[in-house]
Amino acid sequence: MVMLIQTPPEGIYDELFDENNRVRPSCRVLENWLMQSEEAMLAEKRREADVLFQRLGITFNVYGEDQGADRLIPFDLIPRVISASDWQRLQAGLRQRVQALNRFLFDIYHDFDIIRAGVISAEQVFANPQYQPGMQNLKLPRNLYSHIAGIDLIRHSDGDFYVLEDNLRCPSGVSYMLENRRMMMRLFPELFAQAPVAPVEQYPALLGETLRAASLKPDPTVVVLTPGRFNSAYFEHAFLARQMGIELVEGADLFVRQNRVYMKTTVGPQQVDVIYRRVDDDFLDPLAGNPDSMLGVPGLYAAYRTGNVVLANAMGTGVADDKAIYPFVPDMIRFYLGEEPILKNVPTWQGRKPKDLSYILDNLADLVVKETQGAGGYGMLIGPMASKKELSHFRSLLKARPDNYIAQPTLSLSTCPTFVDQGVAPRHLDLRPFVLSGKKVQMVPGGLTRVALKEGSLIVNSSQGGGTKDTWVLEDDPC
Amino acid sequence: MLSRAASSLFWMARYLERAETQARLLDVSLTMALIDVPEDREEQLSVPLLVTGTQAVFQELYKETTPQNLIDFLLLDDRHPASVFSIIGSARDNALHVRGNLSADVWESINLAWMELKELRKKGVTESSASRVFDWTRERSNVFRGAAYGTLLRNDAFNFLRLGTFIERADTTARVLDIRHRMATKSLEGHPTQSFFEWTALLHSLAAFEAYQNTYGHNIEPMNVAELLILKRDVPRSLHACLQEISDLLEQIESGEARRARRLATSLYANIRFGDREYIEERGLHEYLTDFLARIQRITGQIQKDYMGW
Repeated sequence: MVMLIQTPPEGIYDELFDENNRVRPSCRVLENWLMQSEEAMLAEKRREADVLFQRLGITFNVYGEDQGADRLIPFDLIPRVISASDWQRLQAGLRQRVQALNRFLFDIYHDFDIIRAGVISAEQVFANPQYQPGMQNLKLPRNLYSHIAGIDLIRHSDGDFYVLEDNLRCPSGVSYMLENRRMMMRLFPELFAQAPVAPVEQYPALLGETLRAASLKPDPTVVVLTPGRFNSAYFEHAFLARQMGIELVEGADLFVRQNRVYMKTTVGPQQVDVIYRRVDDDFLDPLAGNPDSMLGVPGLYAAYRTGNVVLANAMGTGVADDKAIYPFVPDMIRFYLGEEPILKNVPTWQGRKPKDLSYILDNLADLVVKETQGAGGYGMLIGPMASKKELSHFRSLLKARPDNYIAQPTLSLSTCPTFVDQGVAPRHLDLRPFVLSGKKVQMVPGGLTRVALKEGSLIVNSSQGGGTKDTWVLEDDPC
Repeated sequence: MLSRAASSLFWMARYLERAETQARLLDVSLTMALIDVPEDREEQLSVPLLVTGTQAVFQELYKETTPQNLIDFLLLDDRHPASVFSIIGSARDNALHVRGNLSADVWESINLAWMELKELRKKGVTESSASRVFDWTRERSNVFRGAAYGTLLRNDAFNFLRLGTFIERADTTARVLDIRHRMATKSLEGHPTQSFFEWTALLHSLAAFEAYQNTYGHNIEPMNVAELLILKRDVPRSLHACLQEISDLLEQIESGEARRARRLATSLYANIRFGDREYIEERGLHEYLTDFLARIQRITGQIQKDYMGW
């Protein structure tokens, strides 16, 4: 039986079909392929992919579930396509945004220009729990804070991309971008012969280059620091270390002597210059942060302050990706770069502003409310889908701690045909490209596309039942 | 390389080697229990328990020494660390620790073994399906070895992995030879057919039956068997072959200050390389092997001190 591709509901941007239900030019190859595919064949390929992912061990643990309950993030076979022209604009916008965010981080730990200029209030920066006063006046190579940034974007019904969130601490998911591509090329090699899909395989090489550039030493020793194999992203840490040909270390493999960091090797201590750390700020050094942390390295913070080791990302970057700072990013771009932002922000009402708060409370049923500190889709309210009980619960939360929340309009995330139980049907998705800042700002054409597999759902997080897709950026657009 | 990684690679390889030997041992014991006179059946079945030092645990968990109990205990029981299930689980645990040092092929060979074993465990293994599981274990071990030799960079990660294999192998050969040689020697007083089976059981346990026939022909002589499994360099599981590898590997591993493990291994290697069967006969095989096992353990301890920071 040949495929029937269900068309998207009205008022939503679909990645495959335009508003007249005609196939977009960039997706013609994909649509052709889909039309020629049999459902049974796709189901067979999906089983094959599951087996391969299990074998590779690309699994993750969900917090609150049994440790070692290896789960797969569902992988959808139908790629999401981004045209070459869309990507060019995205790339310019991402570069601009990450540059401004790094400038902002430098500024709030050194000169406070943006606060003096009144663009953002001192309270909002300094009272932010993510602000690390200890980072003030610390000189970092190239003044870089977020060497690796993951920017979450969505495409709205107007067809334009909006930034939903900046991830400047330890953004994860890049291994899925790479493995999804490898899987697609393995399952459907013929597809890649027909479509000019831009490669992403150079990411580990670019990441290695970025990490080496994070130190001013000519040939620095770089390691990946992981919390260990029970961490949900352990697979990714090991994957990246292997791809870059560098050591994957845990806290216990490192020690600090005379403010220098060493790893314990078979030939004795070896000094470490750059740590690509996938451990949160608070757990890096039990002497400086959480004293119960078994994941960190005692004395690391002092070594860092002395300038003997570089952390990527730097400490204290969380203040800039906080949801309370997010509304100011367009202003940052104007302030530091003197440019108009290329990528739009989602309009945001801030609970801490009395006027905004009353708007939020009045329109709660139409808004999405998020905790400023929250992540992973936890602790949020989606107004239009919430029950009366949930609404009144959030109303009291908002009144108790208004500065803890922001609200945004319910966005209509774009959809893309997705292979689900009901056949090929539209499902909502987002996009996380990874931006690397070293000697220059670079990225591979692509990113992680997350898809909400439940019909109508807008939550794409893997911890909440989301899946992933291969992301195709086209090298040139069909005429 | 990282001390912890060296340790994980070393143990990962030891565990995989151990799983393979365990399958061979159990396979041979079950076959022998079928052939043997009923009164000796239990002795046959306890050989794998003796070699792995698990009699006490076994008696605690199971009452009777029956083939099915032995299969359950040594293959799938997760209540003790010496079952094939626990051993492969430990190997995978160590592999997870050093994923960054393993090629995709090596990792997959281990991860796949673990996944298949979990499935096998759900179904359970009976006396009649046991031999398929033994074949499977040997096959997985061979796939791992092939992947390791075919895809790993020849660096210290590879060297530590091989070191684990040969330390484990030397240890097992000595233990199996000690126990089964004693049993076979005893059987010389009984029926010649039975005795022939005892000797072949020893050789099969160490995958050396064909090697014996090639070297000495059809007649099985006790001292020939000992010589083959101790002194013959060209038998893959002989003590000589293992020690040669161990000594070569310690020579190749970048060692900084650490030399003691190397000295101990080289000295044991020299003893075997220039040893002869008369000396072993004079000293007594059991004495000889007991001393060997003590020295292997000393070398292992020293390797861990020298390179793995224990």
